Amino acid sequence: MSDEKAHGSGAVEPGDTSKRVGAEVIRERGVDPEELREKLIDAIGAEFTTYYYYTNLRMHLAGEEDYKEITEDARLEDRAHFELVVPRVYELEGSLPNDIRDFADRASCPDAEVPTPMDDGGNFDTSDLEVEDILEVLLEAERCAIRTWSEICDMTRGADPRTYDMAQRILNEEIDHEAWFIELLSKERDDEINPAGHFARGEPGDAPYSTNNRFNDSA
Amino acid sequence: MTQSASETWSVRIVVPETSSLDAAGETFDLEVREDETILAAARSAGVWLPADCQQGWCTTCAARLVDGDVAHPNARRYYDEDREAGFVLPCTAKPRADTTLIVGQYDDFLEFRADHGRPPGSSKLDT
Ligand code: FES
Ligand SMILES: [Fe+2]
Ligand SMILES: [Fe+2]
Repeated sequence: MSDEKAHGSGAVEPGDTSKRVGAEVIRERGVDPEELREKLIDAIGAEFTTYYYYTNLRMHLAGEEDYKEITEDARLEDRAHFELVVPRVYELEGSLPNDIRDFADRASCPDAEVPTPMDDGGNFDTSDLEVEDILEVLLEAERCAIRTWSEICDMTRGADPRTYDMAQRILNEEIDHEAWFIELLSKERDDEINPAGHFARGEPGDAPYSTNNRFNDSA
Repeated sequence: MTQSASETWSVRIVVPETSSLDAAGETFDLEVREDETILAAARSAGVWLPADCQQGWCTTCAARLVDGDVAHPNARRYYDEDREAGFVLPCTAKPRADTTLIVGQYDDFLEFRADHGRPPGSSKLDT
């Protein structure tokens, strides 16, 4: 072993608690941990807003029990994605915005609003609301999530295996979600059979790849 | 000059010297259909431009329009003042004339949005 290797933790002095080797090893490999952390906050902002918006989208799939159950699954998995990555933000010396409005504004994906205007009384005007329009909002939200987590995989590949592992777990589920909504929208809108090709998921919210219960029992 | 919907326009993409992109300092000339986004055309021509949401929301792809004209029919968050200041979002921008863009303007655009009290700049930068 060379002397250089023995001091491979770089600029962190023994006993120095003002820096984290867990962040410096990322910097040494060419990724700026602060830039990555800010990107993670944007990405989990989108997970959090979709968890919220999917609640509303699900409610408005009234009477479509199978669509509601799948939307519920995607909704709870987005919450799991948020919770999987929150600890990583803190490890990289970041924090959640104090103001939830900032968190939503910086989310990397658009608000997945119910695709209908409000009526004069401030309620949803559901007179022209079509199931297929809701499914399309869900599909495009999943597509954005796929792009975001692919970006984070690109940023971290070969430099930050911990974040990469989280991002690729989430990406696995986002790709599942896109397939679900392609199947449902194809059938609903175009009467076309376009199978997702998946087997049963288990209970809604199981998040087979991404739940942080397997990492953190207190979550 | 009038063109039909299937026409293409010449789009020049300038990557600044100072950019962190691999293509820093290079210029690319593409033919882009009117119904195609500039980002998609660039990526399918092997020119890797930055992007995230590809829905005209996050501003990761921000560029400056130095010549020509684009439309953003599907952008989810694009304001009049962005257009007036010459900022465009190539992920959703479709050419409406022969056009030249300088890409890699995310940091400048974030500041511009913050200065105008608009997201995501307003929520990401202290100004
Ligand atoms: S990639 Fe998000 S606005 Fe263009
Ligand atoms: Fe998600
Ligand atoms: Fe999802």
